[in-house]
Amino acid sequence: MSDAKAVADRLVKAKRLNALLTPPKELRKSLNTQIVAARPTGVLYGMPVAVKDNICTLEFTTTCASRILEGYRSPYEATAVAKLKAAGALIAGKTNCDEFAMGSSTEHSAYGRVLHPLDKTRVPGGSSGGSAALVGAGAVPAALGSETGGSVRQPAAFCGVVGIKPTYGRVSRYGLVAFGSSLDQIGVFGRSVHDAARVLSVISGRDPRDSTCEDRDPLRLPTVPESLQGFVVGLPKEYFPSELDPAVRRACERAIRMMKELGAAVREVSLPHTPYAVPTYYVIAPAEASSNLARYDGVRYGPRFNGAADLRSLYRATRGQGFGPEVRRRILVGTYVLSSGYYDAYYRRAQQMRALIAQDFRNAFDRGVDLLFTPTVPTPAFKAGEKLADPIAMYMSDIFTVTANLAGLPAMSLPIGRVKGLPIGGQLIGQAFLEDEMIEAAYALERVVPATDEA
Amino acid sequence: MSPAWETIIGLETHVQLRTRSKMFCGCSTAFGAPPNTQVCPVCLGLPGALPAANGAAIGLAVRGALALGCTVHPKSVFARKNYFYPDLPKGYQISQFDQPLATNGTLSFLSSERGVVNATIVRLHIEEDAGKSIHDRFPKATAVDLNRSGVPLIEIVGGPDLRSPAEARAYLQTLKQLLEYIGISDCDMEKGSLRVDANVSVRRTGEMALNTRTEVKNINSFAFVEKALTVERDRQVALIESGGTVTQQTMLYDSKENSVRPQRSKEESHDYRYFPDPDLPPLVLTPEFVAEQQSELPELPAAKRDRFVASYGLSREHAMVVTATRAVADYFETVAKTSAEHQAAANWVMTEALADAKDYNDQLRVSPAALSQIIGLVKGGTLSHQAAKRVFAEVAAKGGDPRSVAESLGVIQVADSNVVSGWVTDVLGAHAPEVGRYKNGETKLMAFFLGQVMRASKGKADPKLAQRVLEEKLAS
Amino acid sequence: MSVSREEVLRIAQLAELDVEEEVVPTLAEQMSRILDYAAQLSAVPANGTVKVFVPGPDAIRFRIDEVTPSGLAFGPEEFAPDFKEGFFVVPKLGQFE
Repeated sequence: MSDAKAVADRLVKAKRLNALLTPPKELRKSLNTQIVAARPTGVLYGMPVAVKDNICTLEFTTTCASRILEGYRSPYEATAVAKLKAAGALIAGKTNCDEFAMGSSTEHSAYGRVLHPLDKTRVPGGSSGGSAALVGAGAVPAALGSETGGSVRQPAAFCGVVGIKPTYGRVSRYGLVAFGSSLDQIGVFGRSVHDAARVLSVISGRDPRDSTCEDRDPLRLPTVPESLQGFVVGLPKEYFPSELDPAVRRACERAIRMMKELGAAVREVSLPHTPYAVPTYYVIAPAEASSNLARYDGVRYGPRFNGAADLRSLYRATRGQGFGPEVRRRILVGTYVLSSGYYDAYYRRAQQMRALIAQDFRNAFDRGVDLLFTPTVPTPAFKAGEKLADPIAMYMSDIFTVTANLAGLPAMSLPIGRVKGLPIGGQLIGQAFLEDEMIEAAYALERVVPATDEA
Repeated sequence: MSPAWETIIGLETHVQLRTRSKMFCGCSTAFGAPPNTQVCPVCLGLPGALPAANGAAIGLAVRGALALGCTVHPKSVFARKNYFYPDLPKGYQISQFDQPLATNGTLSFLSSERGVVNATIVRLHIEEDAGKSIHDRFPKATAVDLNRSGVPLIEIVGGPDLRSPAEARAYLQTLKQLLEYIGISDCDMEKGSLRVDANVSVRRTGEMALNTRTEVKNINSFAFVEKALTVERDRQVALIESGGTVTQQTMLYDSKENSVRPQRSKEESHDYRYFPDPDLPPLVLTPEFVAEQQSELPELPAAKRDRFVASYGLSREHAMVVTATRAVADYFETVAKTSAEHQAAANWVMTEALADAKDYNDQLRVSPAALSQIIGLVKGGTLSHQAAKRVFAEVAAKGGDPRSVAESLGVIQVADSNVVSGWVTDVLGAHAPEVGRYKNGETKLMAFFLGQVMRASKGKADPKLAQRVLEEKLAS
Repeated sequence: MSVSREEVLRIAQLAELDVEEEVVPTLAEQMSRILDYAAQLSAVPANGTVKVFVPGPDAIRFRIDEVTPSGLAFGPEEFAPDFKEGFFVVPKLGQFE
């Protein structure tokens, strides 16, 4: 049971990271109120959880790190947030992110970039960089983020924390501001597998308000296993290319060795359509986003840019000025691929390719593999500004993570080593709705892997 | 209209389904609430909101499709129709595109020009309504009310099978009757629960190909359907005859001027970028669900008409009148069965009951039991037809039991033969010369004697009985 | 796949957002790069025999037809940029009404 002041102090101490969008005064005031109202019998009683700013809360604003929602206060809260509160958790502020979750470095926020907790010249990853940085800095034990193409796992790997993306349909999306509807899921950051898994368990489960949320009970947490005896772990060869950063490779090899020592059977598998994953993602996600972001028009909420002129000018100025360049670019690409004449060549083809990618995973799992293990990101955290010139360079950092979103599978990153002090993440990909097996393996690995040792 | 030209019309109708809540959220669909009071995150298009489909709306849509003889597809898909307008809160409408709920049905209606026409129903799909934009409440601004945003609609697309504005009206009236019969909508054009857009083109008689068509919008009543289409047809014919060509555009009907003008849409784009809505899994209908909707369908108007002709011996024309609405048909049938006087029942319904209902908001104020009684009283001679009409009007306005009402009005006919005999005797006694003339062959004097008896009895004598007694007495 | 300047402007119009004249060439170039990159999808045979894949439930759930509370902690008057007499207010479409 933490007291409001201590929670707030820890968060305010990490101010320099620019990870928290909530002003300290508002944060303190809210925490004082929340702590009184929190349910003492809740399983997360008193646990402060920071929430990515694209998830609707009644406390604080919800801006999605965009000017187009500057100052917006949501009149309702996300189902996941309501569940956290019902379990006694404290909503410990809203975290900075890439605008509308579009990005891999949290450099595309309208409110400034987020600093990596260990090296201020580097990015924490994205789009959930603020949540990852706060957990990485020890300012808060857990935080909610969101995933569309790796936006929880990649920053988790960069910041040296645990990040879990559930199976698509495991956690309600009601109240998660939509980006790529068929890819989006709320994910969780934690200092440990246990912290992240506990929070995931609480926010998971059926929600009649979300038609894509499966009618299932909340996730039941596994116990920490003695060994990995009986687990078959697959290593997809496409995720260990020759150009892989040597330190990342060394850290993975060490983790694989340890899994074997724990009794796991390890074998190589192939997911042949992996090279098509990033282009597939960069057709589907912008297409869905272009439609999901059509509602931001200055009519019913948010600020108006050029509100006095005629209707079309209101739309075009609000959207032209309210959205940042990355969001604008994705809306344009998305609009293009859905437009008449291009739908079959791009969007439909991408949905077909998606089926082939999902089939690759099914084939691997059908051959007796329980889990897959891969590096989370090809490199450790890169320098701020390094990948801004070419959008495709930025997209490539998602290469190992987008497949799980395309296939709707659960996946997580846990820290498995360091290179020159920078964290490296290892990724586990599980079977649909078998998060418990994935978490069980993560528990075992976490206990033995020297996460803060140089690889 | 010159026989040199043929008009081709196809109608698209939007029908609001009678549900308590909206298509994708639990907000009320009740008409007439203060603006923006029946709204929630979903139908407001707030960030993060998601749709959840109304099962009853789906059921009603399936019933509509079945009643139109459509093929109902076990799997259909909701798609997003993307465009920007202030009363479209999400910037897209959830509708159906290339995998609609139903296709390939028929609507048979009676054309005054061609007899029975079997118009094609190309497709029927489910979608959500937009809100309302009001352009004349604030100066230089549009007021937007989102109460209507998200109300369930079915869109019914008819093929280019109609050949005149009058046929368009007949088609629409038949469609309205059908949907009202199966109870899925109020189909009220005034309230906006039935809206129609028309596709119109013309061609020279004998041509096979279809020419460019225009779309006519803003038609707000059945009468305006005919007027608007006539105006547009005439415009197209005049245009072509003067050497011009018809361009594909949307025309707005102005009922005050009875004219059409192009909807100025320099920047209107028809690229709706349809794609399956990723927030909604496919709409899958089990055979049990479809069978349940089928079983909920009442007897349809055409079948009911046929049955009334066969079982109650009504003429086709009379059957059409008493089956105009389901309420009237059920009313007639109850009266017919209870009174066992089928033709009388039909006559009473067609004349007194419907005339009264017209002034009282379509309410059939006299209960079927009461009307049955009135019919019985006439048959039994207790009331003359005139008297019965007075009783009917009284019961309609104030209720009550017809016999008691007749008594208090003092219109009960006297059918006591002694009393009637007395009157007859008096009359014959007072008119001996006429009696003589009658006995000599001037049998048409019977009407005179009857009139005298009615006068003597102050209208109360049962005319049939009086006539019989007169005949007896005059025969002797 | 080269995206022309005109196409950028046409798409921007469809998407109802302003793009400054200076950035149009860069946008055209970036969009071209992205779409070229996406063209790798032509590896999927064009005959459409591969079914599409979307995760999530196989069939829509039917919600019961009942009126439920709005779930709004406060009404549109609190968050709307222009709200009068119960209505959202927007400037007229202008000459294109």
